Amino acid sequence: MTTKQETVQDTLRQPSELLYHQELEALKAADTGKVPAGWQMSPKAVLTFITGGEAGGVAITPKYIGNKRLVEMAIATLVTDRALLLIGEPGTAKSWLSENLTAAIYGNSGLVVQGTAGTTEEQVRYSWNYAMLLANGPSPEALVKSPIMRAMEAGGIARFEEISRCASEVQDALISILSEKTIAVAELGQDVSARKGFSIIATANTRDRGVNDMSAALKRRFNIIVLPSPADVETEIEIVRKRVGEIAAQYDLQAAVPGDEALRKVVTIFRELRSGVSLDKKEKIKSPGGAISTAEAISLLTGSMALAASFGDGELRDADLAAGLQGAIVKDDDKDRLVWQEYIANVMKKRGETWRGLYNACQELNS
Amino acid sequence: MSTASAAGIQVFGIRHLSPGGAWHLLRELERVQPTAVLVEGPSDATGEIRHLVRKDTKPPVAILAYTEQVPVRTVLWPFASYSPEFAALQWAHRHGAEASFIDLPSSVTLALQAREMEAKRPGKAETEVTPPMAEPERPASGGAGGSHPPRSEGSVPAGGSQAVIEAPGGEAVGADPAPAVPDDAPEANEGHLYDRIAELAGEPDYDTYWERHYEHNLSPDAYRLTLSEHSRSLRELTVEGERMRSVQAFAHNAVRESYMKRNIQAAIDAGHEPGRIVVVCGAYHAEALETTDGAMTDKELAALPQAVVRQTLMPYSYYRLSSLSGYGAGNHAPGYYELMWNSMRAGALEELPYVYLTGVAAQLRASGTFRSTAEVIEAVRMARSLAALHDGSQPAHADLRDAAKTLLGRGELSVVAEALAQQDIGTGIGRLAKGVSQTPVQDDLNRQLKQLKLEKYRTAVAQELTLDLRENRRVVSEAAAYLDLNRSFLLHRLSLIGISLAKPRRSAQQDASWAEQWVLQWTPEAEIETVEASLMGETVEVAAARTLSQQLAACDSIAEASALIRIACLCGLASQLQASQTTLDHLAADSRDVVQLAAAVSELSRVLAYGDVRRLDTTPLLPLLDKLFTRASLYLVEASGCNDEAATAMTEAISSLHAAAQEHAEELDEALWLERLGELSSRDDRNPRLSGLACAILMERGVLSAAACEQEVSRRLSPGIPADLGAGWFEGLAQRNRYALVSRTALWEQLNAYLAALEQEQFARALVFLRRAFSVFSPREKAMVAEVLGELWGIGGEQASELLSGEMSEQEQQQIEELNEFDFEDF
Repeated sequence: MTTKQETVQDTLRQPSELLYHQELEALKAADTGKVPAGWQMSPKAVLTFITGGEAGGVAITPKYIGNKRLVEMAIATLVTDRALLLIGEPGTAKSWLSENLTAAIYGNSGLVVQGTAGTTEEQVRYSWNYAMLLANGPSPEALVKSPIMRAMEAGGIARFEEISRCASEVQDALISILSEKTIAVAELGQDVSARKGFSIIATANTRDRGVNDMSAALKRRFNIIVLPSPADVETEIEIVRKRVGEIAAQYDLQAAVPGDEALRKVVTIFRELRSGVSLDKKEKIKSPGGAISTAEAISLLTGSMALAASFGDGELRDADLAAGLQGAIVKDDDKDRLVWQEYIANVMKKRGETWRGLYNACQELNS
Repeated sequence: MSTASAAGIQVFGIRHLSPGGAWHLLRELERVQPTAVLVEGPSDATGEIRHLVRKDTKPPVAILAYTEQVPVRTVLWPFASYSPEFAALQWAHRHGAEASFIDLPSSVTLALQAREMEAKRPGKAETEVTPPMAEPERPASGGAGGSHPPRSEGSVPAGGSQAVIEAPGGEAVGADPAPAVPDDAPEANEGHLYDRIAELAGEPDYDTYWERHYEHNLSPDAYRLTLSEHSRSLRELTVEGERMRSVQAFAHNAVRESYMKRNIQAAIDAGHEPGRIVVVCGAYHAEALETTDGAMTDKELAALPQAVVRQTLMPYSYYRLSSLSGYGAGNHAPGYYELMWNSMRAGALEELPYVYLTGVAAQLRASGTFRSTAEVIEAVRMARSLAALHDGSQPAHADLRDAAKTLLGRGELSVVAEALAQQDIGTGIGRLAKGVSQTPVQDDLNRQLKQLKLEKYRTAVAQELTLDLRENRRVVSEAAAYLDLNRSFLLHRLSLIGISLAKPRRSAQQDASWAEQWVLQWTPEAEIETVEASLMGETVEVAAARTLSQQLAACDSIAEASALIRIACLCGLASQLQASQTTLDHLAADSRDVVQLAAAVSELSRVLAYGDVRRLDTTPLLPLLDKLFTRASLYLVEASGCNDEAATAMTEAISSLHAAAQEHAEELDEALWLERLGELSSRDDRNPRLSGLACAILMERGVLSAAACEQEVSRRLSPGIPADLGAGWFEGLAQRNRYALVSRTALWEQLNAYLAALEQEQFARALVFLRRAFSVFSPREKAMVAEVLGELWGIGGEQASELLSGEMSEQEQQQIEELNEFDFEDF
């Protein structure tokens, strides 16, 4: 192992291209397809990287489980040098997919603009090193390029997270970038033009709809793909199991990975609360106000594991799960507490012996 | 019969409803220049071929075979413009080659189907024999998706019929090269087989696999060779399982193939050179038909069961073609495949993505959602790169749909769903050349539709039609003056027979007299129902009359019989009016049920009142009305001794009897009616609500003088009368003519005094009745009551109104809720 990778081991969270370095190299080596300009592998290899498979004897783990067709559509979009917009409920793996696509296609998933209410147009285009600007006037050295500008110069892919959190005028700065594929630096009298391979993957949250709605002009410049919640329980359990295992390894959690039973219970509770109906579709259930996504199920389980490791014996107990569930479902609203109480009393209680332990623990915490 | 002579026959295996197959088949026909074209289809329908190929026959059309006896069983063979069979027949017509169908005749198919149903449902024969009108058959998903010949439908009551129908569809599983995946369980394994093929090819579904590998490949011979290999291996994989699981389906296939061989041999014997005979059949059968070994002998043929059947051609719709098949032989999107066929014929298959997506965008724009040309271009590009991910030469249907969703729908399928449905399926229906073989009822219906200028409603899109039955005085001819009335007769007759061409829409007008609203929509089912109607008679009118008399014979209640009288009137069936009158008369002869009698009276009264708008002489109905009315009057008092629940129905009966009495004051004995009402009003042992109602009617008619009325009120509401009697009576009184009630201050004084005299417990009882009585008052009426009471209490109208209509306090709310659970004990 090289020193570089050792230092990488220390970082809290590795970018996808380092985490799956081996898989990417294997895919590149085994790739026989035509590689589009600016890409580091063929579209088919990218598809294998995301949906799993095998390349040159190396097993490729699936990164996005569930709907293969959506991934195909995302890749097909990027082949046609169109920008891609992923929309979905919180926790439907929008950022995860965008990061992995970028890692596979461009090899660097680090060119990110994080959209917030405070994001300014400079962060999308470019800004200045004001000390140098004042000292020497406008010069290429004083120019501070945005991630998007750097991606244009390198012919790579920039990511724009939570685009709908930005003010409309900031969003609209993208319009000229996406249609002209240049950024004009008026102060220097220069244009920075995109090289082949440049594209943008943006993500937006459906819960933010109506906050800063994207203009029609901007929407028109994106291919929009809606990422759904996992289609069925099995898919969701699969996703949760895989991510929990990965995170546990990464953070070196000293607790056993939760068994199938615990996974199934958590996923069942989450799915029922999310859809407002019990899995057998026989009972109506109230939904809490906050989002209860797959991503939260994952963090709930890893959180519970941390609890078990730090304060328990490393074995995931019902009490740990109950604490996690309480925190994930009852956010700040008192109403959520009632919803949760109702669920415990009406649904969980009737589930029989296997749920008894969890029921008691939840009941105790929520009363 | 020498088998050697069969060598060299050109067998062309196809998938039904496959434009690629049609394209390749035409090239093959050009190459071989056959003198005989033999097509898989019912051999007894060969006579219909000449109608099929006529210039003004516009597909989709279908051959319909049906049994002549009840229960009617039907089988359908649909053809689209891109059906290889249809293309072959047209080619033969153009080049003077002999064309014929060679599959089992429909008479045998239907007989086998009937036999199979009996076998599968022992002891259930009773339920199967459904009158054709009561249970119009729907073309069920005729077995295997691709089992284009034949689509069969049984006359089994809906539900559970699938398995039964499936087998006669013949080709069961894998019978076709198409993914003949039936929905029912036994063949589920083969269903997996097609999924597995798609999965191995990395395609989302089998249809996409099929399109990418067979429809898009236009290199010579590619279709025939790959498909024959494909179905050969499929047959190997499935045939054993089929033999094990469904002996019948297996045997059915064997019989069909043997019969087809016989017909091929017959063509050779008739002098056609074997090398110039082309056989067009499902690829599943292609291998078997390459030799005529095992052709059916005369003896075997004679042993096959026969049913008496008739055939007719009928227009078909793309909608039906798509929904019939489920997994469909590539016909999940007939509209799309027609576009593909058109592009192929123009030699420009590669333009299909533009044509398709431009069409979707045009549909979107037409419905008000603007999408730019730039977006269409991007959608085509995206579809292409999706196809490239699968090494496809050009986008398949799934690619185009996904691209449309992403670009034109901006990620949302719901935005483009309607436009896609329009483009994929479309509303197209076929058309037959004039005078093409039809049943007499079909002919009659078509003639009437034309005569009544209803032809433009004969589309797959639902259209509204508003009729004004009154005479149009601005036109010259009588036919024109009563056009709408005659239309109404026809539509009512159709719905009586059970032909679902038109559905009545509830009119905004109560008791609609001269206006009617209909929604007209043509469906292949309507056509089938029309064919079935031929069992009932030669024309629509005769069929309607017979249906009605059947219903009359079966009807056993007064209400039903009087409803039939109305239907006879709506349908303009004067002859049946008499018959239904007799039926009603018999039924009513010993009925003492006032509620039913009242319903009959009200039906008859309506028919009499509005009969002349339909130009019907309804006077013969008068004596019957009089009889029923008198009988109802006489039994009124007796029937009024009922509990509160039954009183609700009685209330309605009394109101409708009274309405009839006023409507036909001259013909009916109103005096008797009022006399009986007076009796009811004065009796204390009848239901108090009904007594109250009778009193209200008498007041309204002015029979009861103001003084007598006040007397009655004070008698009924005097202290000591139990609350449920007093207040219940008041409730009945308050049901009619509230203004008159409100204006009588004396009445309110008495009510007020009565309530004040009640004890706590009794008051609560009374409250229950009063609440119900006042709940139907309008706010304005309540305000008027408040005003009167305000005067009484000396606090002024406004204040009282505020008090009465203001929000309730929590305590009051609770008291009211307690009332809801009030226990009447003895009541």
